[in-house]
Amino acid sequence: MEKDEEMDSAAPQFSRSAVPDPWAENVRLVAQTRDRAAFQLLYKHFTPLIRAFLLKSMGSGANRAEAEEITQEVLIKVWNKAASFNPGKASVNTWIFTIARNTRIDFIRRNDRNNREIDIEDIWHEPDSPEPLVDLQQRRAEQVIKQAMATLPDEQVQVLYKAFMEGKSHNEVAEELGLPLGTVKSRIRLALSKMQILIDR
Amino acid sequence: MVSFHPDSKFLTDFAAGNLPLSEAVCVAAHLEFCSKCRSHVQQLSDVAAQMMARLEPVVADEDGFDTLMQRIEAGESTPQPARSAAQRASAASGATTMPLVVQKLAKGGLQNMSWVQLGRSLRIAPVNVGCKDRQTAIYDIKAGGRMPEHEHRGEEITVLLKGSFSDAEGKYVRGDFVVRHAGERHQPTATLDTDCICLVSLAEPVKPTSFWYRLLEPFVQYRLSGFSN
Repeated sequence: MEKDEEMDSAAPQFSRSAVPDPWAENVRLVAQTRDRAAFQLLYKHFTPLIRAFLLKSMGSGANRAEAEEITQEVLIKVWNKAASFNPGKASVNTWIFTIARNTRIDFIRRNDRNNREIDIEDIWHEPDSPEPLVDLQQRRAEQVIKQAMATLPDEQVQVLYKAFMEGKSHNEVAEELGLPLGTVKSRIRLALSKMQILIDR
Repeated sequence: MVSFHPDSKFLTDFAAGNLPLSEAVCVAAHLEFCSKCRSHVQQLSDVAAQMMARLEPVVADEDGFDTLMQRIEAGESTPQPARSAAQRASAASGATTMPLVVQKLAKGGLQNMSWVQLGRSLRIAPVNVGCKDRQTAIYDIKAGGRMPEHEHRGEEITVLLKGSFSDAEGKYVRGDFVVRHAGERHQPTATLDTDCICLVSLAEPVKPTSFWYRLLEPFVQYRLSGFSN
């Protein structure tokens, strides 16, 4: 019995100590016991960041009230989806970003008034696939990304920021900065390779 | 083995949520076959999340937590069980099953889609993903069938879902993500032993170069646009 417990706790402790995630415990408590206090801490920390992201990325088409409504929708999803969070696969930070990203895409598409035959989450799903070997590498990669990001030159940070935070495609970034598409692509690739994200082409 | 992948532009625009739906559906289908690209998309999401964590926080005048809890308790939405990851992982593992994203597009199964027969060996079923600038469709090429040689006026993305095909550039198998740019000509041929099924996203209508096909084109375009609306 005792031996079993040791076995069970060994793996998660290893991955947690390798890559600590201060928020994972809060999400676990929300999932398992619907813990309001744990959720309130998540709310306090993440709401101003989600709001900031949505205000930037929803573009001029969205007013402040809309951005606020989408922010609240994201947090309702955090509460409802807490059970699907997989601490081995992603940090809470990344998990919440993917929820915010998908809610934003859904909002933009909702306004298209175009009846599509597919849901946003059938295309962009939250990270949940069971790939244990990849998982640990994944969480280590996240640390590398965090450290390398602080060392990137301004011109690379600028294009990454426009792509990820302002919600602009490569083409839109190129147009806005008056750069050839190839230059935008190579700046992003350079930044990614410094973060050890090595995409072949 | 999958050997043709989306480039960094597709993966970045996808992870950032900036890829138009027609192209995003193609990337999503490829991801179900390719753990390497899945891992890249995950890393790119980490990059985005790190950037979000560094934004200047925007604090609202009112805290809003109690209001939010009231909304949650009023049951606007109910807790969702963890989505079956096993279900997703198994989707593309079988040799004949379609990626989940394609199953969603072909609601009642491929056989119940609105197919348009073009010549003897090709039929096309348009799907509506709510994307105005591109046509999205499932192509079904009969075993050994040869598509008319055509030139691309706009970018074409093909994701192989079943079977294989080849053209002058090489041979493509299940899971491959193949991009052809404007101005490129090719004549794909399905391999002899099995039908070839692809998910295709086309920026602008393909211009057939053979004479008889050109005569057919206005009709084809008419049929396609009729179905995709």
